[in-house]
Amino acid sequence: MQKQAILERIKRIIGEADLQWIDDQPGDPYLIVGKEKLLRLAIYLKGDPHLSFDTLLCLSGVHNMGDEDEIEVVYHLYSLRHRHQLTLKVILERPAFFPHFYLKIDSISEIWPAAGWMERETYDMFGVHFVGNKDFRRLLLPPDWEGHPLQKDYRESPVYRDITTTREEIDGIVVGFQE
Amino acid sequence: MPLATESMVLNMGPHHPSTHGVLRFILRTDGEVIHHCRPDIGYLHRGLEKIAEKVSYAHFMPYTDRLDYLAAMNCNLGYAITVERAAGIEVPPRAEYIRVLVAELNRIISHLISVGTFAMDMGAVTPFTHSLREREWVNDLFEELCGSRLTYNYVRFGGVALDLPDGFLQRLSRFLDYFEPRLRQYNRFISKNKIFKERLVGVAVISPKDALDYKLVGPNLRASGIDWDLRRDEPYSVYGELDFDVPVGGGAEMGELGDCYSRYWIRIREMEQSVRILRQCMEKIPDGSHWNRSKKKLKIEPGEFYVRTEAPRGELGFYLVSKGGLKPHRLKIMTGSFSAMSIVEKVGSGLMVADLVALIASLDVVAPEVDR
Repeated sequence: MQKQAILERIKRIIGEADLQWIDDQPGDPYLIVGKEKLLRLAIYLKGDPHLSFDTLLCLSGVHNMGDEDEIEVVYHLYSLRHRHQLTLKVILERPAFFPHFYLKIDSISEIWPAAGWMERETYDMFGVHFVGNKDFRRLLLPPDWEGHPLQKDYRESPVYRDITTTREEIDGIVVGFQE
Repeated sequence: MPLATESMVLNMGPHHPSTHGVLRFILRTDGEVIHHCRPDIGYLHRGLEKIAEKVSYAHFMPYTDRLDYLAAMNCNLGYAITVERAAGIEVPPRAEYIRVLVAELNRIISHLISVGTFAMDMGAVTPFTHSLREREWVNDLFEELCGSRLTYNYVRFGGVALDLPDGFLQRLSRFLDYFEPRLRQYNRFISKNKIFKERLVGVAVISPKDALDYKLVGPNLRASGIDWDLRRDEPYSVYGELDFDVPVGGGAEMGELGDCYSRYWIRIREMEQSVRILRQCMEKIPDGSHWNRSKKKLKIEPGEFYVRTEAPRGELGFYLVSKGGLKPHRLKIMTGSFSAMSIVEKVGSGLMVADLVALIASLDVVAPEVDR
């Protein structure tokens, strides 16, 4: 199906509220969906025979720190049966106080089991909680690691279990990342 | 009186000969049977996605070599195609053919390692030494081409770094003439070996539904009977002009659909097809420039792109978000080994301990690609 036909079909079932189609920039267009509607939409996207998005290609996060501080959760879906693709986005605001109350979203790991690990990685890197993921913990980093490295304002703790994580200057050459 | 049994927690890895890098499994076993298998990854996490946000587009190319060190060319190529699509860079035809040439050569040696270590994990050490011997030859060819044998950093935005040296195609042709009969010899050695087949047919079967649900890609997906190859179905570079078959599991020569033997056999068949592609490339390769080189610093307009290519371990996806400027705003790397590892918990539970080794080897998981 063409992108517009997919969009029409989604609108017919879910309604137009909380949906926003962005195609005014180069690259792949995407659909922004409100986080309350995500689960319903996901069930429908996989189940509807005309859409049948059977593969979750990629689940990832993007942190934007401009005027607004927000984390996007991005879903790339593909249908092997109909050979069409759709990009979904859910935008979560990240306020300065108690951000973990806001960084919460429904897990889709029941619908696409591949999401199980991808959600764990997104939690690990961005601190987004996926409610309903059955095995929810960090994936790549150790369980007692502090912070979520792919957040733009992440600063590594200088010591982890009595091991320093940064190196000193050697003869004036600064080792490691510099901003 | 029935014999009392007791469940036991067994730690496998991180350093285990069968884990091909550093992977760890926590197994709850009862005798030889695994009740629950929990993979523990992250030992090779190097933060490549964070590094990508800190360096310029061109500077990230050498890091993609380290993404999957057995198929560095394919990782280079996937990243280059992503950036080219985002920046709208044209690639000269000669460069496209050179890229496909090196990518398919790399696919051959990556699959050689895969089938060699698979045989070794199953207790046959000799085939591994044979496959390494063939791989050395290709490593020599690559060394001649770009100076390195493992991490090539050869593909550039808009072409490749260096043109083919004099006589390269003749030497490549000599390798292919040597390699094809060798492949048949492998089949006599191990592929058709009764012991090897009995050991693997019907072991750790992955159904087509599970394969899709857990997003298996590449040879693992095709072994489960799903006919999907990006090179044929969504051709990039010059794959659209080349003629090749996509081997799929479930035929007469294969074992049971989606078992360890199918996954092994698909890789052997893919090597044959890669040889076919290489021969066509050698015929069709045009003269001309090898690099559409730009002197300007690469800047990408705001936008986002998800580009997939077919690496030896399946689809390699790069999700690039640009907000303008010299560095990516976000670069997510989605690899085939990652999703292959995520299915181990489901398929591994219920197997015998020795069959878990077969499962991991047949999925062809490479640890740095899982952890990134």
